[in-house]
Amino acid sequence: MWKSVAWDAINEGKAMKVTRRDLLVWGAGAAAGLLATPVPWKVLDDVSIWSQNWPWIPQPTRGPVEVKQSFCTLCPKACGLRVRMANGWAVGVAGSSTHPISRGALCPLAFAAHQLNWHPQRLRNVRHGSSLSTWAEAQSAFAKASKEGPVVVIDGYSGRAASSVLETFAGKQGGSYRVVATPELRAFTPYEQWTGIPAASLGYDFENARTIVSFGAPLLDGWGTPGRLTRLWAESGAGLSDPQLRLIQIDSSLSRTAARAWQWIEIREGSESALASGLAGALLEQNLVPAHSPVPSMTLAESSAQAGLSVERIRELARLVVAKTPALVVARDDDPAIAALNVLLGSLGNRGGIVPHSEGVKPYVAAESAIGNARAVLIDASVPWEFVPQVEAEIFRFAAWDGGATKADWLLPAPGFLEDLTDLPTAPGCSAQTYGVAPALVKATIEVQSAAQFLCSLDASLPTTAKIIDSRCEDLFRRREGNLYGQQIAAIDKVSSVQSFKEQLWKGAVWAGEASLSKAFACHLKEWPAQTRPVSAETWATQWKPVVMPPLASKLYQESGLREPPRRNA
Amino acid sequence: MSARYGMVIDVDRCTGCGACMMACAAENNVPALPQATARTGLTPLLVRKVSNGNNGETRREAFIPIMCMHCEHDTPCVKVCPQQAVEVDEATGIVMQMAQRCLGCRYCMTACPYHARYFNWWDPAWPPGMEKSLNPGVAVRMRGVVEKCNLCHARLHSAKEKAAVAGKREIDPADYVPACVEACSTNAIHFGDLGDANDPVSKEAHSPQAFRLLARLGTEPKLYYKSNEAWVRALAEPNSPQASEVQRG
Amino acid sequence: MASTVLTDARWITRGAERISLSRFLLWLSPWAVLLAVGVYAAALCLFYGLNQTNMDNRFAFGLWIFLDLGIIALGAGAFFTGFLVYILKRVELKPILNTAVVVGFICYSGAVAILMIDVGQPLRAWFTFWHPNTHSMLTEVTFCISCYLLVLSLEYIPILLRNRQLRRLPSFLVFEHQLHKLVPVLAAVGTLLSFFHQGSLGGLYGVLRGRPFAFRDGFLIWPSTFFLFILSAIASGPSFLVLIIATVEKVTGRKLVPQELYRRLAFISGVLLAIYVAVKCIDTLVWLNYTSPAAGFAPWQYYQHKGFGTPILFAEIILLGLLPAFLLTFRKTAASKPWLLTAAAMACAGVLLNRFVLTVQTLALPTLPFDDFLQYTPSWQEVASFAGVIAYGVIVYSLSYRYLPLFAAPKGRDSHVSGN
Repeated sequence: MWKSVAWDAINEGKAMKVTRRDLLVWGAGAAAGLLATPVPWKVLDDVSIWSQNWPWIPQPTRGPVEVKQSFCTLCPKACGLRVRMANGWAVGVAGSSTHPISRGALCPLAFAAHQLNWHPQRLRNVRHGSSLSTWAEAQSAFAKASKEGPVVVIDGYSGRAASSVLETFAGKQGGSYRVVATPELRAFTPYEQWTGIPAASLGYDFENARTIVSFGAPLLDGWGTPGRLTRLWAESGAGLSDPQLRLIQIDSSLSRTAARAWQWIEIREGSESALASGLAGALLEQNLVPAHSPVPSMTLAESSAQAGLSVERIRELARLVVAKTPALVVARDDDPAIAALNVLLGSLGNRGGIVPHSEGVKPYVAAESAIGNARAVLIDASVPWEFVPQVEAEIFRFAAWDGGATKADWLLPAPGFLEDLTDLPTAPGCSAQTYGVAPALVKATIEVQSAAQFLCSLDASLPTTAKIIDSRCEDLFRRREGNLYGQQIAAIDKVSSVQSFKEQLWKGAVWAGEASLSKAFACHLKEWPAQTRPVSAETWATQWKPVVMPPLASKLYQESGLREPPRRNA
Repeated sequence: MSARYGMVIDVDRCTGCGACMMACAAENNVPALPQATARTGLTPLLVRKVSNGNNGETRREAFIPIMCMHCEHDTPCVKVCPQQAVEVDEATGIVMQMAQRCLGCRYCMTACPYHARYFNWWDPAWPPGMEKSLNPGVAVRMRGVVEKCNLCHARLHSAKEKAAVAGKREIDPADYVPACVEACSTNAIHFGDLGDANDPVSKEAHSPQAFRLLARLGTEPKLYYKSNEAWVRALAEPNSPQASEVQRG
Repeated sequence: MASTVLTDARWITRGAERISLSRFLLWLSPWAVLLAVGVYAAALCLFYGLNQTNMDNRFAFGLWIFLDLGIIALGAGAFFTGFLVYILKRVELKPILNTAVVVGFICYSGAVAILMIDVGQPLRAWFTFWHPNTHSMLTEVTFCISCYLLVLSLEYIPILLRNRQLRRLPSFLVFEHQLHKLVPVLAAVGTLLSFFHQGSLGGLYGVLRGRPFAFRDGFLIWPSTFFLFILSAIASGPSFLVLIIATVEKVTGRKLVPQELYRRLAFISGVLLAIYVAVKCIDTLVWLNYTSPAAGFAPWQYYQHKGFGTPILFAEIILLGLLPAFLLTFRKTAASKPWLLTAAAMACAGVLLNRFVLTVQTLALPTLPFDDFLQYTPSWQEVASFAGVIAYGVIVYSLSYRYLPLFAAPKGRDSHVSGN
């Protein structure tokens, strides 16, 4: 209809023939007219907005941010955290300055720990061999195995409520409970053997020491609870020619700690043990320590040859060690020859030495030893990924992330960072006992179970983690000692009720006992420890090796040359 | 408010752990891309390793965190930006980079003597779901623009909001602490108002141990370093005979 | 079929002899392929971003900026010839004016195209006009280059409209005639704009206080490189024209301009180059002895890196500066065509080396004492997109040469175009 009208109009106006000129004029007019409209300007504006917010640019979640106090549960160092939350997700992590041990500091990895739950290697499904499976199948397989023979339960973070669930299960089932300890904890085993005091209840009294001799322990690079020693070192005159705290680092290479230590003693790789014997000899020879027997069988000359230091240099080192006391020796691992130096220096049970912080802690069971006969092995998610039990048994491995190349028969997705309720016992090496509770702050987006939850669902008679934590809180409150470090520091006598105590702990406060500084304990060496195998140097920011790195960690080793790229032994 | 925010970094205390770099990247939603290298990555805060050049036991190494120095005078990057995407905030002295204004010509990067500016060579990206862990206070920068340290300006913004809600004109200094300062495990980074003579940072900046990098260029950087070790202080001079070592590149 | 063979004879200027269309297309085809590769490379850069290049945070500028600065300097022949013809009334240069304009247009439009790829957010390129920072040399460059490109386009249009077929449209003829009257004005405006952006391209690096290798003291807001760039550009521009015209003569096998014109251009180039070298020497001495030490940088530092030692300074000033200046002005060498062309090539190479030193060496040199001397190799995308620009230049020039009266228009009715 309209078409014909238009045609008529054109036909009628034959006299007004449209010329090329008309078209040009019309075009120019239209262009000029368009400029007077908001269209081009709006388009220009929009272009700038589009180019800021292309649809593929990720946008952060919106919503009010609130800060929760909690703890880092990635490793047994138990650092205090302030977690920023928005929309139920963790959006930022910082250290909690009220924590009496970590004092607001964290290892570099912790600052991106909240991103780990989204890591591409997150274990999202139950896996049986190379195929996908279900929780129900895993449960029935485990139930069957535990009926057929003993189950060995392996824990990587002993002393938690969850550990207690694992241990109770192993006890009831007739299997055994083993712990893969951190190097810091292992370093106490010689003392445990010599004194009978459990390694887990020994700690270093760094705060009162004046000289720390480290045999390759990365004291300034994530050793122990990172903030404790780094803050102490920084506040005790780091960089001064005569600092209040002398840090002598014995290392085969210029490690981060050696670079910043007061003194770096360069030795041959793997000769720590030999140098320890030589140093003991030099201390005794120069009467720098009370006479002692047994004495090392290795001569100074032998030690000097192995370590690559002159005899005179070892003598000089001996004088340096005792120049400012109390002096304390720290080993990277469980080398008994290095541990024996502390016996010689009288550091055991004394101020500025190695002190017991609690009684009643169970001795830990090393898992390195042969696991023995087992029908099945249950590995908790806290066990380092590299640990593979040498045993013919069905292996049930819990893990939040898949580190690749595992030999487990079953891989079971465990809660990730801050996805599970857990308590935090004293970190290895602390001179005072501490206790904290980390509630599940974020919800897991996939179906996860911790090893403890898994066992509780199989055996209803096992106490749950929550129950154990509850009773532990009550026990602590009844002891009436120590302080509660929350918004303020309060002596536990000032806390009105067990309810209030629990509430504060659940909000991220930390209970800390008093350091028992001088409880001298008897220690007798039957013979000077023999030289042990050299311990391989391995450390990446912490002595703890995470299964996966937060993606942001690549800032440190890929987008800069600050650190070596992580190595996997798998 | 009127402040001249700056830092004094105690090099003697820096252990080079990298916590500041991680905290900075997490706070500012800096992506970590698998294809990025030391030359194309985004490290608004970068810890560099330096040495006294000796070998054997006399060798010393130190770590120097490098970030935008927030030059006060003749700010090289501000002067060159063709479209005012960089400016020195009059009220705070912070050199601000407006990502949404930047056209990515990178002239400012050639102007910066500290190499403290970074270009987004790729689109920002995170593994699926990880965008939920991003800091809500900071917008993600798109590909093709320059970015750098802005002293965690989002934190200053929320401190100002908090002060405004409380009806105060000035912010509480405790509310405004950049992420790297907060993250440092040895308290090596001291942050404060250099314009306030009573601020401890201001006093520290005038200590004989304090120095600035490339101070003779005359740009008045507001980042100071300090060290008791003479070889570290010698790094202030571009042509110091001290041998040095590069960690990236 | 033979009767329908394509021919473009009626588009070719009356009286001009040109090769057959098929041969012409054969000549164009490799360049077209190169242009296509270049367009593909540029598209990659625009679509995937500048990660397609090998530039990085230290080498924030790379091959593209160096070549942009280079071709803009060489393209200076356009404005300078216009300036000589219209302002200084050196009419003997008029025969090369059209070529100068086309070469200038190619150089500038090519450089602008590359700059558009070189920025991270090309969609925001107009922000510079919207929120200009008047203190930035780059703002000055952007404004002047875009305005001058407009001027060059306006100067190019009359040449374009002189095409045999386009001239048949009466309105185009009128337009061309009117526009042509404007050309002297355009030349004047172009000169002004060019002076400024050649200068501000020099200022681009000269103002970099943070890069003491490039930083120069100067006059008011302009660092000395501002003036040095103008001088070197106008010195090398005529040399570049000499090279272009000689190449065109060689390729087409035709004599296009009198030999006297070569000598004239060479003399202008040589004298200006001599002045440039003298000023450059003074500038270098001031920089070595005063500017750089004042910033805390000992000059020896700059020249201690392998491949970038003092020979580069020698080559820039003496070998490719003073020597060609002498060869271009000395009567005997200027009279010999091989010598003249060698000298012109040397002069152009000298200016390119100067631009290279200022752009690439500046970025390669460390500033912090714990920084290192860095190297960078351009990616194929960078090389290809630039090669595409060269191909574009060849194609545009070939088309212009074939269809437009670049050198001499037929005698007769349009004497106002070609002669007087």
